[in-house]
Amino acid sequence: MSLLADPGAQRPTDPLLEIYLERRENLVRFFAARCGSRATAEDLAQELYLKLATRDPAVTAENPVALIYRIATNVMLDRARGEARSLARDAAWRQVAHASVAGEDVAEEAPADEAAAARQRLRQLVEAVAELPPQMQRAFRLHKLDGKSHADTARAMGISVKSVEKHISAALRSLTARLER
Amino acid sequence: MIRSWRYDDDARRADAAAWVARLEAGDLGDAEATAFDAWLSASPANASAFDTALAVSHDYSAAALPVARELARRRAPSASSAVGRRAFVGVGAMAAAAALAVVIAPELTVARTDTYETAKGEHRTVRLADGSVLDLNGGARLTVTLGRGSREVTLDQGQAVFDVAHDARRPFVVAAGDRTVRVVGTQFDVRRLDGKLSVTVARGAVEVRPTDGAEGRSYRLRPGQRLEHREGQTTTTVAAADPAEVLAWRAGRLVYRGQPLSEVVADLNQQFETPIRIEDPALAATPISGVLVLDDQAAVIRRLALLVPVSAVRSGPGVVLRRDGASDR
Repeated sequence: MSLLADPGAQRPTDPLLEIYLERRENLVRFFAARCGSRATAEDLAQELYLKLATRDPAVTAENPVALIYRIATNVMLDRARGEARSLARDAAWRQVAHASVAGEDVAEEAPADEAAAARQRLRQLVEAVAELPPQMQRAFRLHKLDGKSHADTARAMGISVKSVEKHISAALRSLTARLER
Repeated sequence: MIRSWRYDDDARRADAAAWVARLEAGDLGDAEATAFDAWLSASPANASAFDTALAVSHDYSAAALPVARELARRRAPSASSAVGRRAFVGVGAMAAAAALAVVIAPELTVARTDTYETAKGEHRTVRLADGSVLDLNGGARLTVTLGRGSREVTLDQGQAVFDVAHDARRPFVVAAGDRTVRVVGTQFDVRRLDGKLSVTVARGAVEVRPTDGAEGRSYRLRPGQRLEHREGQTTTTVAAADPAEVLAWRAGRLVYRGQPLSEVVADLNQQFETPIRIEDPALAATPISGVLVLDDQAAVIRRLALLVPVSAVRSGPGVVLRRDGASDR
């Protein structure tokens, strides 16, 4: 117990924990992309650490990096299953907050300069999408803005799922290039 | 030279976008996960390109509705206002429902006081007649009085998140010991345990002032600010705090950044029947940073031991936390 109690003072002897500590930042990025939130990602990385620290260190794997990512995926799925209810509530809350930002009581939410900055950012986001080539733009709007899955987007456009993924990735590439300062 | 640097930069951006799109689409296989990890670790520039692409993707997710609306408006100016209007219906209906409740409630009912209480470990969501929603953490007790001119809550003890329906004519007031929190419409968390009060604002603004007769000055809190106050004293501190972390208890997690162990134990004692005590004052003051997932008490204490070297010893009806390797070893 005391061995696990203070990972900072004593180097962990479990190789998986070592790998985790080396790659923590990568795993946070992984979680952030998979679940769409930086704050949740930090939280999941912490949970992953607890999971790794409390597992049986005798069990090893040929590819420990892949194993960590597999456990990371499970941590995320466990959370999604176990807390579907509270997640739904969080989502509902986010929607309300979101709606009121987009809606009329913006003045109460943010000072005038912040609201102006938000409007400016919104204009940039809209213009960047408007400049995408038509097919790429359609795929991006259906998937990212209307929230359709890759499969549904493919069906709506009459193209393959693979092509949708290519369009989305290419769209994100040009949007990033355009919006990057 | 410049040309080749440009090329690298562009290829990196393409790879970053491809990884973000791939991760957002679904689970990775072992080979992909290994490749992803290797690509990120290969250069700090890769990691930063990934962060940029992910931030852009998150920006679009967060603004999906207004961006889609604006694009639709540009495309077809005449049809667009209908789309815009429909998109607003959800919001409008919600606001209208709240407003309606506000108009009707005072006429149908005389201002009456309701008491809400939660058992240890119980979470409860209370929807008030004015549309406000209160999330009560375990071991909390509060009373609510919705009157014509004001909405008043008295927090006797515990912690709650207040999501207050906007009503400029009826201020929402939370009395917590010798401090009073006054709001118009916002979301915030109030915690009152062991004579210590903290208020954290997620949205809007609130004002915390001394309750009649108590001493001290008033504070106006913005989103992301946390006020801490010890009852009976005049001093109050205001610091930055992440509201998502403070409100995490609603999803069964407690998040700490440097709070003393005694505060962690006070929170846990609102969740579990078996009381936890700390006898060593130096240990009680030890700062704790980390996340505790609340499931069963033994597991939580085990995880707490990952954050600070303690062990739990049964003692009478409760459990005493000791520093590992102390005294009786």
